[in-house]
Amino acid sequence: MNPFDIMDCSLLIRMSGLPPAYNLRELRDRIAVCGPDVLYHHFCETPLSPTFEYPDHRNDFAVWATRRLSDKILAERLGAVDPYACPSMEGLREVVLEVIDERLSEVTMIPWARPGHEFYFMEATTLVFDSGERVRALRELPDAIGRMSNGSIYFHFLEAQRRQPVGMDDFSNWIRGFGKTGAPYVEALRRIDFYFYTLRELREELVRVLEPLRGKRS
Amino acid sequence: MNIQQYEPIVGIPVIGQLRRLGERLKGLRVVHVNSTAEGGGVAEILAWMVPLMNDLGLDAHWRVISGTNEFFSVTKAIHNGLQGYSVLLKNRDWDVYQDVNRENVKALKDELEEADIVVIHDPQPAPLLELCTRRRGRWIWRCHIDASHPFRSVWKGLKPFVEKYDASIFSMCQFAQLLPHPQYLIAPSIDPLSEKNIDLDDHELDAVREQFDLNPGVPVLVQISRFDRFKDPVGVIEAYRMVKKMTPVQLVLAGGGATDDPEGKEVLDAVMEAAEGDPDIHVELLPPAAHRTVNALQRIADIVVQKSTREGFGLTVTEGLWKGKPVIGGDAGGIRLQVVDYHTGFLVMTPEGAANRIRFLLHHREQCRRMGRTGRELVREYYLLTRHLREYLTLMYALVGQKTEHTVMV
Repeated sequence: MNPFDIMDCSLLIRMSGLPPAYNLRELRDRIAVCGPDVLYHHFCETPLSPTFEYPDHRNDFAVWATRRLSDKILAERLGAVDPYACPSMEGLREVVLEVIDERLSEVTMIPWARPGHEFYFMEATTLVFDSGERVRALRELPDAIGRMSNGSIYFHFLEAQRRQPVGMDDFSNWIRGFGKTGAPYVEALRRIDFYFYTLRELREELVRVLEPLRGKRS
Repeated sequence: MNIQQYEPIVGIPVIGQLRRLGERLKGLRVVHVNSTAEGGGVAEILAWMVPLMNDLGLDAHWRVISGTNEFFSVTKAIHNGLQGYSVLLKNRDWDVYQDVNRENVKALKDELEEADIVVIHDPQPAPLLELCTRRRGRWIWRCHIDASHPFRSVWKGLKPFVEKYDASIFSMCQFAQLLPHPQYLIAPSIDPLSEKNIDLDDHELDAVREQFDLNPGVPVLVQISRFDRFKDPVGVIEAYRMVKKMTPVQLVLAGGGATDDPEGKEVLDAVMEAAEGDPDIHVELLPPAAHRTVNALQRIADIVVQKSTREGFGLTVTEGLWKGKPVIGGDAGGIRLQVVDYHTGFLVMTPEGAANRIRFLLHHREQCRRMGRTGRELVREYYLLTRHLREYLTLMYALVGQKTEHTVMV
């Protein structure tokens, strides 16, 4: 079995170049034309962004709807959009536009944000580098995860869902190579409802779920 | 000063990540330039950033430009103009601005032209770029100011100096201006081991209580900031007076002056006048090196106040949160990123709002403690120098390699 190569990553956020949205109509129009990296950033990269850890929702559009537009109905619907359930960023874009269009058809006045509370569209570059550390046996995995940076946790568990095999984290992908021994752990990892965890909490949960591996011989 | 000292605070993974980034940038020659060696957030950031970059393997340096009183009056006006204040800058003022930079470049030219990365902090040294015609590295303009609504004529005057940079850095997306180069977002941070943030023992706190003649039995409100109109110290006194009608309380307004801020005295006089006759208001102009006093005052505080009407990032808020205090902050700039209602403190817009929230907190002590714990963890995760350093190193790697795609495999 090949060792597990621990990668690490660091996020660099920048302005996307799109003008900010002052109201829901403008938000809709910008989302319709923004690059896929912009959507990905506001939905999936929030755990690595320096913002408050426990917002009501985990994507920036839902947070803006609740905090700046004071539209809780829209916020709840946007907050329920699961980017990891969408096959692609274009699929995600369709879902988000559908939610916003539905809301626009319901309201009599377009919700506006106060000056200074506009929505700014951003994107990021993720620098991925080899940490040089390797996990060679299943029993080493819980300790190795416990030592990982937030960047490593993000890359191997969240960002991995976008890579082949799509919808699977890197730990599960490696563990399944151990056949029957690993199967229960792949299932346990699949059951983690990671969307509302901070990266620190996710790391703790991964260690907890994989704890029994410490005693395994492989 | 070395990065290993921070491991007990941020953990092994964070330090390991920085070391790996440092390995990939080993020997990179970086020069930071600003206009003051002490006083103000920028000098504080550079005081740790440069040695830690060196510890991680980079070849980093910090240079300070010097200037005349007239130059600093002009750059203060530019600063105020970027923050939206209506100021009039004549052609002669812009000439002074460039002339002082021309004087400074004589000593700096070779070093700046040879550097791989030059980071110019704030507007004061911005003209250096076009004066270094043989520059070979990448130049970054780092704007620490809330430039969300700049006074148009000031931005128009400054823009030609900054648009030629390879990239700019702003503390928040709201501050970014339309420029023809990538605009990166990097929030500032604090150093948990600096004199201003390191743990202090009770004896030291008692000594500062005595120095400021504070009654240990009465709650203390503390606002630490330069005496600057945008920090609204007079508004804080108004809020304090409203609270005091209902419950006993003491107020400390303390802050240093920076060598590039000639307006401080004027604002301090206005504050002294507003505070006159009340022995429970303690106004103190602190020397630049009074970091431990500031530290102690923030620890003595029951509530930290930062009622700014305009704010760059608000590092005094970060400092207050790190000391486990709830913060009443003005709904401005980077304070919004740090102060979240009912979680780490309250955002307010008026003296009345501040007074109401102060009264609420003084009567809900358990909530104060919970907010303090949440605030400290928020800072540990996002606003300590280790995160800040990581983002700078990532930016430098991306700039040197000219990488802008979403995922860059190193």
